[in-house]
Amino acid sequence: MDALLDILEDLRPGEDYRSRTDLVDARVLDSLTILALVSELEDTFDISIPAVEIVADNFNSLAGMWAMVSRLRDEDL
Amino acid sequence: MKSYISLAVLGLVLIAAVMLYQLAPRRMRPVVLLAASYGYVWMLSGALLTFLLFSTASIWATGMVLDALRSRRAAELAEPGASRRAVKQRYQRLMRCMLATGAAANLGVLAALKYLPFFAGLAKPLLAAVGVAAPTAGLGIGVPIGISFYTLQAISYLADVYRGTISADRNPVRLALFLAFFPQIMEGPIARYGQTAARLWEGRPVTAEALFGGSARILWGLAKKLVVADRVNALVKAVFDDYGSYDGGVIALAAVLYTAQLYFDFSGAMDIAVGAGRIFGVSEPENFRQPFASRTASEFWQRWHVTLGSWFRDYVFYPVSLSAPVKRLSAAARRALGSRVGPVAASGVALACVWLGNGLWHGAGGQYLLFGAYYFVLIWTGGLVVPLAERLCLHMGIDRDGRAWHAWQHLRTLAVIVVGELIFRAASAEDALSMVWRLVTTFSFASFADGTVLTLGMDAADVAVVSVAVVVLLVVGHLRERGMHPLRRMWSCPWPARAALLLALAMVSVVFGAYGASYVPIDPMYAQF
Repeated sequence: MDALLDILEDLRPGEDYRSRTDLVDARVLDSLTILALVSELEDTFDISIPAVEIVADNFNSLAGMWAMVSRLRDEDL
Repeated sequence: MKSYISLAVLGLVLIAAVMLYQLAPRRMRPVVLLAASYGYVWMLSGALLTFLLFSTASIWATGMVLDALRSRRAAELAEPGASRRAVKQRYQRLMRCMLATGAAANLGVLAALKYLPFFAGLAKPLLAAVGVAAPTAGLGIGVPIGISFYTLQAISYLADVYRGTISADRNPVRLALFLAFFPQIMEGPIARYGQTAARLWEGRPVTAEALFGGSARILWGLAKKLVVADRVNALVKAVFDDYGSYDGGVIALAAVLYTAQLYFDFSGAMDIAVGAGRIFGVSEPENFRQPFASRTASEFWQRWHVTLGSWFRDYVFYPVSLSAPVKRLSAAARRALGSRVGPVAASGVALACVWLGNGLWHGAGGQYLLFGAYYFVLIWTGGLVVPLAERLCLHMGIDRDGRAWHAWQHLRTLAVIVVGELIFRAASAEDALSMVWRLVTTFSFASFADGTVLTLGMDAADVAVVSVAVVVLLVVGHLRERGMHPLRRMWSCPWPARAALLLALAMVSVVFGAYGASYVPIDPMYAQF
């Protein structure tokens, strides 16, 4: 999860990613930022994120993003 | 059609539908809604209702095939010794083919009815080379109301079934009602199947709370349209029709007023649609979230015509961005430009598709393509320069979280919005560019100082009414931004107070509405798209 936090801090520094649960709803992460984030996640965790996964529930919180990454890693195994 | 016919028909159908719906047994209520919806389309578009029936039948059949393919894939994957990768790839190809066929059938109808002369014009040199004359008119059978809206709903249904986020609906009547529900078919909102279909089918009884809340929202929307949108039309039309006769100050005023007209008209129509849905227990998605509180052009499109923006985001932007060729481009851009700017640079491909689609969706005219190109350039370059702007602000000691910076962002975005709407309203792309040029090069307050602006279709009384309405909307918008909902708070009042509120809302339109001999009735503006 620390690697995920580092990616977020690099893309959009200064947000409290550990506690926020409204990153998409509050427009902290807009569609262009999410796209950059998806590229980083795919490279870092060796996963493929399809368009159907780009929903607010998966990106509103650090926990949601980690759950998605973990699930996609398991599916790729 | 310059009249209130479509609004009057909507009102009559709504009243008849509410009474029949409440009288009907629960399981027949969705049928009443579907009959009312088809009756509404028939009254406004006649036999063109056939195209809505075709769209419904095509997505029902395509959805069923997609579901059958998904079941067969699951069965084959469960067989021992099956090559999972080969099975997945084979079925993905088949399902993509089905999705493309269903979407193309619906888009094909839309293109044939709405865009034939436009595309024929583009293809004119090619057609001329082979000795074929390009058609200058459409098919000559007209365009059914709401086709641009229900076509997007139809495609979203197919895409959601393809992705597996919803199951295909085996019940064609339920699917037909999702596509045709009369309060939303003319101007949206563009709902997703998962948002409205199940609730529409439940046939919940109309409660006093739903009737009050829905009626209040409808009257609120009606007041927005009749009191403000139709009142500013005379000045807007006079200036846009003959902009060469006015200086930049008047053109700027007309652009600001058109922005207000479009907002009050379209958001008023959405209030009516959402209010009518509420009466039947259906929560339609909201289409506006205080758009003028935006601080960037990108944020504006998350607050203005929200369901159109989210449709293009979910079904064009992300799929194109995450397609294999764009991913390869993105990887190359990241190597060249870094992990922050690289993906944004590569997203230009997807953004261009979104804004070309957004412009064309509004109409087959150069001004709409220019409108799309305008927002494409603003949003794409805006994304690209974010790191540079952050460094510049840091260097200059500007607090990006401070009030002064936020105020500057608000003002800048308001100017962007007004120029965008000027392009949108212009008669052609050439006129749009000429108007912007004239606005900049001949700007002056002379027409305001000598009172000329009060002779262009809005007198002092009109200005006063519009000003008060704008202030009321600003206050309501401010409260909504802070999480409060003034109309909803009044639902808990005793019924005499609620009745008084409904009466007051109705009286606002009756007393201050811009109708009668001095005004021209204007059909809901987004119905033309």
